[in-house]
Amino acid sequence: MRKKGIYRAAVMALSSILLCTGLPSFAASGEETPEVTLRVCNWEEYIDLGDWDEEETIDLESGDIIGENSMVEDFEAWYEETYGIKVHVEYSTFGTNEDLYNMLTLGDVYDLVCPSEYMIMKLMAEDKLEPLSEDFFDETDENNYYINGVSPYIRSIFEENEIEGEAWAKYAAGYMWGITGIVYNPELVTKEDASSWNILNDPAYYRQVTIKDNVRDSYFAALGALKSDLLTSEEFLQDPDYSKNLEAEMNDTSPETIALVQEYLQDVKKNAYSFETDSGKADMVTGKVAANYQWSGDAVYTMDQADEDDFTLAFAVPEESTNIYFDGWVMLKSGIGEDAAKQHAAEAFINFNSRPDNVIRNMYYIGYTSVISGGEDERIFEYADWCYGAEEDEEEVEDYNISYFFTDEEDSEDYVITAPAEQVDRQLSAQYPSREAIERSSIMVYFNNEQNEAINQMWISVRCYNINDVPVWAWILTVCAIALVAVFGVRNAKRRG
Amino acid sequence: MGKISFSRKSLGIPYTLFLVLFVVAPLLVLIYYAFTNGQGQFTFANLVGFFTNPNTLGTLFYSVAVAATTTAVCLLLAYPTAYILAKSKLKAKSVIVMTFIMPMWINFSLRITALKEILTLIEGNLAYYPFLNAVIGMTYDFLPFMILPIYNTIVKLDESLLEAARDLGANETEAFLKVTLPLSVPGIVSGIAMVFLPAMTNYVVLDMLYNSTYIMGSLIGGYFAAYNWNGGSMIALILLAIICLFTLLTRGAEEENSRGGALL
Repeated sequence: MRKKGIYRAAVMALSSILLCTGLPSFAASGEETPEVTLRVCNWEEYIDLGDWDEEETIDLESGDIIGENSMVEDFEAWYEETYGIKVHVEYSTFGTNEDLYNMLTLGDVYDLVCPSEYMIMKLMAEDKLEPLSEDFFDETDENNYYINGVSPYIRSIFEENEIEGEAWAKYAAGYMWGITGIVYNPELVTKEDASSWNILNDPAYYRQVTIKDNVRDSYFAALGALKSDLLTSEEFLQDPDYSKNLEAEMNDTSPETIALVQEYLQDVKKNAYSFETDSGKADMVTGKVAANYQWSGDAVYTMDQADEDDFTLAFAVPEESTNIYFDGWVMLKSGIGEDAAKQHAAEAFINFNSRPDNVIRNMYYIGYTSVISGGEDERIFEYADWCYGAEEDEEEVEDYNISYFFTDEEDSEDYVITAPAEQVDRQLSAQYPSREAIERSSIMVYFNNEQNEAINQMWISVRCYNINDVPVWAWILTVCAIALVAVFGVRNAKRRG
Repeated sequence: MGKISFSRKSLGIPYTLFLVLFVVAPLLVLIYYAFTNGQGQFTFANLVGFFTNPNTLGTLFYSVAVAATTTAVCLLLAYPTAYILAKSKLKAKSVIVMTFIMPMWINFSLRITALKEILTLIEGNLAYYPFLNAVIGMTYDFLPFMILPIYNTIVKLDESLLEAARDLGANETEAFLKVTLPLSVPGIVSGIAMVFLPAMTNYVVLDMLYNSTYIMGSLIGGYFAAYNWNGGSMIALILLAIICLFTLLTRGAEEENSRGGALL
């Protein structure tokens, strides 16, 4: 899902080998320090693995930031220094939420994992998670970087969203977040076209747009396109319950809607370039496609890659609605059990990854946007400005207000990036979506088993070839082929006999 | 202490262990899942479901269509090639054979990635021809598996049989049709088996060349991603049954003349 090129993959493979061979021998040093083993499972390439070049240093005014060692090694050192306890992290990775779930079902044991919000909801509903401790939310502890640094906007989402009467925040601490949108080539696609989910089915872009190869993302886009008129109508937008109504519309799983979505996606299948998980980024950069349904973090990466080839791509957030998603850390009952030492280490791992300098390292390395805004610490905004702020001699600039993310003061003007005008349609708008894009964002909830089954069945039907679609000539051909084989077989048998 | 001696039987132990662990045990698990529902109760619903669902049947049809077309194209390309190669008096024959085998040494996903670029150059937009691309990709991938068994049979043909045919008045065409072709059937059958079966499930080629339609392999993956392990296992089992049936059918043809260089 999140890839940073072959170089990163090689580094990762190497470092995981090093991690394995570097297993500490138990109590070999003879010291009395107790040891905790923490089993962490995260997305592939979703954490800083260190080993940066000197020239990659992020030279903020408040000081340089560089990833020398991997985040995991730094955590082990920090934990021992801070708490006097040796911790050993067994770090592994997964490819999709479904893979992780299947791994857990098959009996793999982890203490701390980082699935997306809907999988967190599923795990919560199945009572597989250990709640975060009270100490984790203690704002007076200066080592509690998460609670002191999490964006007020994200914090309220985690506290307000519930499943079966329990808030996400009780079990989950956010890690990265983003929205979905369309990366497009401005020479071939107008901004207006890219700002609607209808582009996926637009005959003007026959075989030039890719769509995500998973049922949830495709379902969301299809809903956006099918309900386009309703979602963009004045009446709907002006409704005082707009957000609530929007979320209901974008999580509509009535049988009639599912049938419509199936029909729509079948058309998309005939019109789009491909369903893709990972290849879309490269195909966008090499110009094979004109537009690409993308997660915002990967959109940033795609545009960065294209920039290296002097090829300009842009990002648009569909007018109908955009899917806001989160990946978050949760502790598993099966791993943590009653082990308080382990739980402490797990929570410290979350906190260490929420320390502003580490947040910047992770964001730089993987391209996604952290849920941490830094609280008192201004470095994360400084980093955003360092990435996207205009040079002094820039001619066309535009003010881009992202205060909603950094402070809970309403209508604040404290966090405004003065960016080159074009950035407002490019990386900046994908890294920190605009206030307007956020207002029309909707969470996609975890569907229950029955809904899931219906949607999955719909998806398989879209992807399969229906036997009723087999043309007559193909049936005739089939009969001929079978007859031919039969005749051949009989002749052979006769000759033998 | 006598010297350590291995009986022949004990030499088979490692393989037996391997067989039990990685073939028999997974197969039993597969059968268990195929005939149970989500609650672990015995059921035929998955089996009935497969044969009553227009999507699974359609996928089976589509997979067979892709595999059969690939096999036919491979055969048309491979037979003349193998024939010319086997009959040629070239000293460098083995070098040419090598050039057919060599692609097999290169990682297959790398080859398909290269093919993707080449096809994009030729076709302009890959997504216009999903079925054609699937067939081209598979042919590219499996052609050596068709050439080699045919080449091996023809090269080992007894030349005196052909001489006898000519002595008895057959012209070149007749000699080919009545001697060479029938005697190379085992190689052809072996080649068909080597190409047809993997082509039914090799969905990576379709994925990489942007064919968005599921074949049997991707359908199984789709069921597992939807947490429907039982349905997925049943499809895998049915596929296994089809392969067994196919192998039994082709074995008959091979046994008829077993001196060819059949690979299976």
